[in-house]
Parts: sequence; C-alpha cells; structure tokens
Amino acid sequence: MARPVLGRVSGRTSTPSRVTHLDRDRSLVEAARRDPERFEALYRRYLAQVYSYAYYELGDHHRAEDATERTFLAALTGLDRFEERARPADGEGASTFRVWLFQIARNTVANERRAARRHPTTDLSAAAIVPDPLDVEAGVALRDEAAAAWRAVGRLPADRRRALVLRFVEEMSTAEIAGVLGRSEGAVRVLIHRSLRAVGRELRGEPR
Amino acid sequence: MTFRSRDAAPADALLTDRYLEALLAGDRRGDAPADSALDPAVREASTRLRRDLVRVHPSFRFEERLAARLAEAARSMRLAAAAGAEGHAATVPFPLGELSRRMAEEDEQTPGFPRPLLIGGAITSAALSLAGAAFVAWRRTHPPARGRSPMARAIRAVHPGRRPASRIGLV
Repeated sequence: MARPVLGRVSGRTSTPSRVTHLDRDRSLVEAARRDPERFEALYRRYLAQVYSYAYYELGDHHRAEDATERTFLAALTGLDRFEERARPADGEGASTFRVWLFQIARNTVANERRAARRHPTTDLSAAAIVPDPLDVEAGVALRDEAAAAWRAVGRLPADRRRALVLRFVEEMSTAEIAGVLGRSEGAVRVLIHRSLRAVGRELRGEPR
Repeated sequence: MTFRSRDAAPADALLTDRYLEALLAGDRRGDAPADSALDPAVREASTRLRRDLVRVHPSFRFEERLAARLAEAARSMRLAAAAGAEGHAATVPFPLGELSRRMAEEDEQTPGFPRPLLIGGAITSAALSLAGAAFVAWRRTHPPARGRSPMARAIRAVHPGRRPASRIGLV
C-alpha cells in the first residue's frame, strides 16, 4: 500500500498549523490541470482498476471497454470540477481522485446497463449463448473454485456485489467504498460483512 | 432478524473489517490472524474471494487506442484554453481540400466573375460605426455654437450671397 502524503497547511493569521492528509494523486492531478496531456499518468495508473470494475459489473469485454473509455473521457473533461476532500479518516494511501473516478465509473456502468436494457442487440436465439452479465465464468475462464466463488458473489444484490468487488478487486478501504457508493462507512462495513457471510454459507452449501 | 442480531451487526462488521484490512495487506494466497469471534463463514469467504477475484487488465491494443484518444482530446482542450474559450471545445478539421476543389470548379464555370471579399469590408464597416457612434455621443455633450460650426462656415464659403432664412423673413 502506498505511503500517505502529508502536507503542512499553515493558517494566514492566528490559525495554528496542522498536518493534513493529502490526496495521493495530488501532484498528478495538478499536472493534468495545468496541461491536459499529463492526464495520461492518471490514466495508466487507474486503467486496469476501472476496466476490472466495469468488467465485473457488466460481464462483457466490449461493454467494459466502452464504459472504461467513457469514464476516462468524462474524467479528463471534468477534471476542473474535481475537488480534493481528503480526510485522515480516508485512510493511508487513500486517493479522493480514485473515489471521484469510480463515482464516474459507477454512473457510466449504470448508464451502460440502462442502454443495454433499452436497446438489446441480440435476439432470443443468440441470447442463449451470450453469457449472463453476472456470469463472468465464461469470459474469464476461472478455475472451478473461482467460478463457484464468483457465482456466489453474482447472486448477491447489486449493492452487495459492488461493495465486494470494490473491496477485493480494487482493494479499496471502507472509507473509499463509502465515497463511491454514497453511504456511511458503518453502512458499508455492515454491507460487506453480510455479503461475506452469505457467500461463505453458499460456498459451504448452507442456506443463506 | 432478531433485535440481538441487528445490534450485533456493527460490532461483527467492525471485526470483519479489521480482518479484511490484515488479509488484504498480506500475500494474496496467505491468510491473516483472525479474532476467534469472527464468523468462520466470513473468514472462508474472505480468503476465497481474496484469492479468486482477480483484477482484469484490458488488451494492450485497447489501452493504446484509448491513450491516443485521450491525448487527442487533451490537445483539443489545450488549444481551446489557449484561444481563451470557456468550457470544452473540440477541433473540427476544416475541409480545405474539398472547398478549394469546389471553388476551382466554380471559377471554371464563371470565368472572370469577381469574388467579393467580405472580411475587410466588415471590419471597416464596424470601425466606421464605432467612430460614428463616438462622434454622435461627443456632439450631444458639445452642442455647436449657432452659425459657427465648421459646416456652417463651409456653406457660407461656398455660397457667400446666401443669407439665413430668418434674415429674409421666412421664419
């Protein structure tokens, strides 16, 4: 895990100086704001994470690529609107830019899902061979055990599945997931705990 | 769900969270020390998901294609910023080749037809309008003395015999 970046912020008048937890990506974000072509560093750093998230959510490489492309284009053009709100509670190595980026990704994936529902591109005969969006078994070719684990995750409600993907695939902290999902940290902890209990019981063959 | 289990959920969730912190900070295939109160089903699911939910990387071709697209968009944004534009603009290539071809065709069809040049005329017109407006504003604050304006002097110089209408009893 990356080390936190600490900066000293001193007040202009009588406010005592204090140590503030800064966004891990602050220097890269500032460089990209000065020169948009420097956005590439942020893109390279987070490409696999955003793509993984989209892929686990959509279960299709092409749709995941579309969602990834839209996410990064939106982030590039909207970088001026990004506000750094790092807090000590965000944890070591936390990046509010990453939270902001995943908020965009989450909205983009949701739009992608809606568009897919409005404009289905396959007929019923073809649908039989198209993998279910939640069933990434065919696409990833995981081992049997991995496929069983993913099936158990895939049967969870969307918010629980999303929380587990962010926690285990993206290795986000509870605070970051709370930022992405727009929930409190306590709610996210309970969400993950209950999701894991349900998955564990299914893997053991017990009723959820 | 009972009231007891509802109350216990945040405490159990905190326990799970601590375990996950240790688990995710360690090696992907290893386990982490866990509190004895941790639900065994939670622990088993955590180690399985830690091992099996892997990050997926897109193809190299997609990565480079999107990088090129982002670079193009970034260049457009920089050009727009340099031009002082607000917001975001995309450069649209001007179809100069097509335009030149069509102009050449028109020239062949109508030889010697003068092509009007609008740009200089528009600028001149705008400048004259501004100068005219400034003169009118100045004149409103500086009314000319009766009969002593340059125009009146010019008329008298051209027509020395002409007298004002008031002098010949018309008004």
